[in-house]
Amino acid sequence: MVGKLPARSSMRKRQDLWGILFAVPALLFFSVFSFYPILNAFYTSLFNKQVLSLAAPTFIGLKNYAYLLQSADFWNSIRATAVFTLGTFSALLVMSLLLSALVSQTGRSRKFLQMAYYSPAVLSSVVAATIWLLIFDPRGLANQAVNLLMNTPGVDHDWFVNPAMEQLSTMIVYFWKYIGYFVILCITGMASIPPSIYEAVRIDGAGRWQTYWRITFPLLRPTVVLVSIMSMLQCLKTFSTQYLFTHTGAPQNPINVITLNIYNTGIRDQRIGRASAMSIILLVVMVVLTWFQLRASKSEEVDY
Amino acid sequence: MRRFTVILLVLLVSASMTCFAKGKAEEPTGPVKLMFWTHEDAARAKLEDGFIKDFQEQNAGVTIEKVLYGSTKIQEAILTAFAANQGPDIFNMSIEDEYAYIANGRVAAIDPKVLGLSTTQEILDTYIPNVLDPVTVKGKLYGLPLELTNWCVYLNRKIFRSAGLDPDKDYPKTWEDVMAVSEKLVVRNGDIVTRRGYDFRYPYYLVDFVPMVEQLGGKLISDDGKTVIVGDQAWLKLLEYLREWGPHGKNLGSPTYKAARSLFNFDKNEIAMASTGLYQQGRMRTDNMEFFNSKDWMVIPYPQWKDAVKTVASCYYGHYYMVNGQAAPRTQQTAWKFIAYMLKHPVDYLQQVSLPQPTKQLMASEQFKTMPFSNVFAEDMGRAHIVYYGANSAKLQELIKKAVEGVMLNNVPGDKALETLKKDAKELFSGN
Repeated sequence: MVGKLPARSSMRKRQDLWGILFAVPALLFFSVFSFYPILNAFYTSLFNKQVLSLAAPTFIGLKNYAYLLQSADFWNSIRATAVFTLGTFSALLVMSLLLSALVSQTGRSRKFLQMAYYSPAVLSSVVAATIWLLIFDPRGLANQAVNLLMNTPGVDHDWFVNPAMEQLSTMIVYFWKYIGYFVILCITGMASIPPSIYEAVRIDGAGRWQTYWRITFPLLRPTVVLVSIMSMLQCLKTFSTQYLFTHTGAPQNPINVITLNIYNTGIRDQRIGRASAMSIILLVVMVVLTWFQLRASKSEEVDY
Repeated sequence: MRRFTVILLVLLVSASMTCFAKGKAEEPTGPVKLMFWTHEDAARAKLEDGFIKDFQEQNAGVTIEKVLYGSTKIQEAILTAFAANQGPDIFNMSIEDEYAYIANGRVAAIDPKVLGLSTTQEILDTYIPNVLDPVTVKGKLYGLPLELTNWCVYLNRKIFRSAGLDPDKDYPKTWEDVMAVSEKLVVRNGDIVTRRGYDFRYPYYLVDFVPMVEQLGGKLISDDGKTVIVGDQAWLKLLEYLREWGPHGKNLGSPTYKAARSLFNFDKNEIAMASTGLYQQGRMRTDNMEFFNSKDWMVIPYPQWKDAVKTVASCYYGHYYMVNGQAAPRTQQTAWKFIAYMLKHPVDYLQQVSLPQPTKQLMASEQFKTMPFSNVFAEDMGRAHIVYYGANSAKLQELIKKAVEGVMLNNVPGDKALETLKKDAKELFSGN
C-alpha cells in the first residue's frame, strides 16, 4: 500500500501535465484576445491618451473615472444601457422559455420552427440592423403593419423620432435576432431532462400545464441561469444596432448605450484613455451582475 | 501546479504584449509595396485602377494594393490602423478628418524633388490661392488635393412643373423661399412624407449649416479663437427654422428619412431639391444616364436668408492624398511619386468622375467651364470659405448634431438646446 503511493502520485502529475498542455491553446487564445486587452485597457485608463498622438501619454491616475462619474453624458449611457438590457433581457428570457415549450410540443413542424426562429441569429448584426432600418422607415413595413392593425392610415409612429419608440425599435431588433438562439438553448435543456420523469408524471395524471410548471421549469433552472447570464451579457454589450441607427439619422441621446459611447469617445473623439475607463466600468458591471446571478442560482442546483 | 499555471499565464500575456507592441518594419531595399486606402466611388475606382496598372508597368518592383472603404467607414479604419502603427502608406479623407494626422505628426511632408520641382512654393503656385493652407504647416506641405468640393442645390425641374411651379422663376433664393416652395412640393400620406421638396445634408453640420449661421452674423468660433458658438440670435434662428422644418413643425423632412442626395439621381418623384457637389454629375451618369442627359435637372446657388448680413455659401472641403510618416523613406518617396502621377490627370478626374482638382490650369480650362452648371459652383465657391478643421472638428460637429436633433426630433426648446451646445463646446475647447 505504502509502496503504491509514489506511482499514483507521479501518474497524477503526468495527467495534470497533459491537461495543462491541452489547455495551453485555449489559454494562449484567452491571453492574447481577452486577458491582455483587459489589462491594457485598465493601464490605458490611467492615462490621458489620444489615439493619434505620438507623444508619451500623461499619467492621470483615476481622473478618467472621476470625470466619468460626474459626466451627464456617461450617466445617460448608463440609463440607456439599463433600459435596453432590462427591456430586452427580460423579454428574451420569458419568451425563450415560452417558445421553447411551444416548439417542443409541436410535431412535424418542430424542426422547421427551430430553423425559422434561429435563422436571424446567423445574420450579421449590421445586416439585421439594415433590414430593420428599412422596416422602420416612415414608409416602411412597421408603420404599414401597425396602421393596418389599428386602422390608422397615414399615421407615422415615429420609430426613430420619439425617444421611447426609438429605444423600443432597438429592443425589437435585438429580440428578433437573438430569440431563436435562446429558444434552441432552452430546447436543448429540456431534452436533457430524463424521459422517465415525464412518464412517472403522466402515470400520476398530471396535465401539460402542471407538468411544465412542476417538472420542466424547475429542472430547467441550470439552463435558465445560463440563458439569463448570456442574454444579460449580450444586452450589456449591444452596439451594432445603435451604431447603425444613429449613423442613419436616428437621434443618439436616447440610445447612446455604453458601448456606443466607448466607440465615439475612443474613435471619433480619439480619447482612448477615457474610452478605456468606460470599458473597465462596463466590465466591472458585467462581472458583478454575473456573480450575483451565479450566487443566486447556486442554491437551486438540479440533481436528477 | 497552480503556481505553474500562473507563471504560464504571465508568460503568455507578456509574449502577446510583445507581439502587439511591434511597429512597422523598415524596408531599405528590394521591391516596394504601397498600401493605398480610399473611399468607394465606382467611377473613380475604375480611373485609378488604370493609373495603378500604368504606374506599376512604368516602375518595376512597385506594387500597389488598393483597399476600398465606405465613405463613413474609412475614418475609423484609418484611425485604428494608425493607432496600431499599421496605417496605410497612402490615404485620403476630408480635411476635417485628416487634419488631426498633420497635427499629430503622423503624415510625411512632400519632397518637391520627388515631383520634379525645386521648392514647395512651386507646388503651391500650381493651385488656386489658399486651397493648400489646411495642409501647409511651417512651410511644409503634407497633402495634395484629390478634389475641392462645395455644395449647391440640384433641382428636379419635372417635380417643380408637376406642382405648378416654374423652375426658372420659382426656384428658391432665400431660406424662407426654400421652406415656402417645399410646402408646395411636399406630398404626404397622412403624416408620412412620400415626396420632399428639399432636405438638408444632416450629418454635415460644419459644411452645410454653419454658413446659415454666418449669413446671420453668427460664428462657429470667434476671430480670436477664444469663444465657440458665437452669436446667440443667429444660432437660435437656425434652430427654430429647423424645428419648423421637422416632424413637430411643418413636417417637410427630417434626418430620419433617406439622404436626399442619394435619392435625387433616380428621379422617382421622391425629392425635388438636394444639396450636393459637382461630383453628383458623375454619379448621376452611373445611376441614371437618361436623367443626366435630360434637361430635367438644374443647379441653383446656396440660398441666403432674407435678412442676411453677410453673403456666405456652403463651405468647401478638400480631400487630400496623404502619405504615412511612419512608412520607410523609400516607401514615402514612391508613394508621393504615385500620387503625383495620379494627379497629373486632372482632366480625366473632371470628365470621368466630375471631381475638380483645384489647379489654376483646370479651373481656367474649357473642360471645367463647359461642365454643366460649373459656373454656379465656381460663383458660390467665391462666396465660401473652407470648412472648419481642427483637432476637435468631429466632436464639435457631433455637438451641433445633438442640438439639431434635440429641437427637430425630441422637442427640446431652441434656447435650451443652444445653452447645452455652448456649454459642451466650451468644455470641449477647454480640453476636458
